[in-house]
Amino acid sequence: MSPPRPRLPALAIAVGLVLADSSIVVLALPEIYRELDTSVAGVTWVLVSFNLVMALAAVPAAHLARRIGPGRAAAIGLAVFAGAGLACGLAAELNTLIAARCVQALGGAIAVTAVLELLPATVGSERRAVAVWAAAGATGAALGPAVGGILTELVSWQSIFLIQTPIAIAAGVPVLAVARHEAATGIISAELRPTGRPHLLANLALAMVSAAIAAALFLLVLLLIEGWRLTPIGAAIVVSAMPLAALLGARLGPGVGSERARAAAGTILVAGGLGGLALLPKAEVALTVPPQLLIGVGLALVLSALTETALAGRAPQAIHGGWTIASRHAGVAVGLIALTPLFTAEIAEQRREAIDAGTAVVLDSRVEPLLKLELSRRIEQQLEGERGKVPTIGPAFEPLPEDPDDRADVLNLRGELQDQLDRGATHAFSPSFGLGALLGLLALIPIGLARRVDL
Amino acid sequence: MSPTSRGSLLVGVAIAVSLALVGAYLAAGGASYTPAQTQDPCKDRPWRDPEGLQQIAEQFSLSALDGAACQLGVSREALARALATPASRESFMQRRGIDDPELVRAIRAGLLRAVDDAERAGALNPVLAAPLRATLRQIPPEQAIELINDARSLLDSLQSFFGPAQGLLEQLFP
Repeated sequence: MSPPRPRLPALAIAVGLVLADSSIVVLALPEIYRELDTSVAGVTWVLVSFNLVMALAAVPAAHLARRIGPGRAAAIGLAVFAGAGLACGLAAELNTLIAARCVQALGGAIAVTAVLELLPATVGSERRAVAVWAAAGATGAALGPAVGGILTELVSWQSIFLIQTPIAIAAGVPVLAVARHEAATGIISAELRPTGRPHLLANLALAMVSAAIAAALFLLVLLLIEGWRLTPIGAAIVVSAMPLAALLGARLGPGVGSERARAAAGTILVAGGLGGLALLPKAEVALTVPPQLLIGVGLALVLSALTETALAGRAPQAIHGGWTIASRHAGVAVGLIALTPLFTAEIAEQRREAIDAGTAVVLDSRVEPLLKLELSRRIEQQLEGERGKVPTIGPAFEPLPEDPDDRADVLNLRGELQDQLDRGATHAFSPSFGLGALLGLLALIPIGLARRVDL
Repeated sequence: MSPTSRGSLLVGVAIAVSLALVGAYLAAGGASYTPAQTQDPCKDRPWRDPEGLQQIAEQFSLSALDGAACQLGVSREALARALATPASRESFMQRRGIDDPELVRAIRAGLLRAVDDAERAGALNPVLAAPLRATLRQIPPEQAIELINDARSLLDSLQSFFGPAQGLLEQLFP
């Protein structure tokens, strides 16, 4: 009796859902940061913990899937993922949230590697299974931030996690038939062949590029929300440019060049986009769009090319797929861990410089001296109230003077002060974007070496 | 076109597009989009519009801030914020390890520099400069801090010091 074949949409949704989770929470981080009263470094662990556990668990999870059967593994993985999602949504403090995220990643790793074993039976070939699996993962990762931003703004950050529970259960139901078949017959569809060595260079390049992409997404969102004070939904609309470009890039299939050429071109585009973000000439949302387009097209090219390279001719697919998942998430985790201290230090430094520059603007302004003194006091109180964050300066200027000349002077002063704060907030992210670009460019080394050495 | 040529073209296009973006942002001032640098408080800062009591008082305060900040080794802007409220002053002194006598010494030095600057700018009659310096050397700590924030109180003090002679201040501050 042949095992039942789960439908493709359920499997694709399972992969997309899990891999979206490495980025879906990005736009909610500022909200979590405020609501759970933590630090930027602390809230980063909501992302880092998930990616770190995914990285560590992916390969063992793939072995588990082969040992107990992919149907059962996928069902267990999705059930754990759904339950942990619920716990994340109900978490009232940061440590609980991080712990739940770790469990969620464990379930996700089991589900996503098991699905790769189930896909060939559904789509007809291992090669097509890899393509579908990689595309579903890339789509999920690219769409994640925008979906997360919209949910955060319209409902709450908790809803990002709570909504995943029914989706994971819905995706898991069709898999149950396979699990029941495995339990009833004791037959595991994939034979337990010996596993070959992973493709070291492709996986190394995947890790480095993923670190750069994590920098792009995470830092851009923080810049938009914390630096330029956009709402989560506003930021979600802005960062939608990246997944839209990724969808375009995904259409550039193998026809446009070899896997190595696509990987190299994609890496260069990601690095170029990050270079653009490091050199923003003004605090204008529109200026983030061209770099995002480059990064989006680049990530679609490079992730699919490197995943295909890492899996080509290697069996079993689940194990090697596990290695690609491990590499990608390790890259994201390492990128975040490396960049967090750099940009938190830069934010503090640039905040100080921007406030000094803003104070100079106030002191040297032509506003009437008594009003100037009053404004200085209000600005200082506003800064004290906002602790280490990039300050909102508007309330310090309310109410505006009634005299038209004074009013014009004060509005002019507010504009100049805001300009200095915008400069500081934007510049604070430049070194981190620059480091991300460098990481991207370094990925060209393993990609170039892979031309000569097939590991 | 062979697959190799297509691959080379793809990489070439990626390089060209990336360089074009980075070049365009550099040309638009991306490398210099940073907060304005504040001036060294130990350097002279020319007086602006030293006419009328209000402007003189304001410039006097700014000069005094420069002088005190120079003495403390901080920026004029950091000191101005520190002196805005008692809480901010306390926090500033704690952060920098500055005690009350040190702060008052610095503020007195700042006020004396302001007298020098006012004299140099032609905003203060030399006849008044000497007694004013003597007064400032003796000024109580709290009043010194108040003075640096709002030099008009200094002018008010001077007015009472010189008695009821109307218009005298206008002569002293030409």
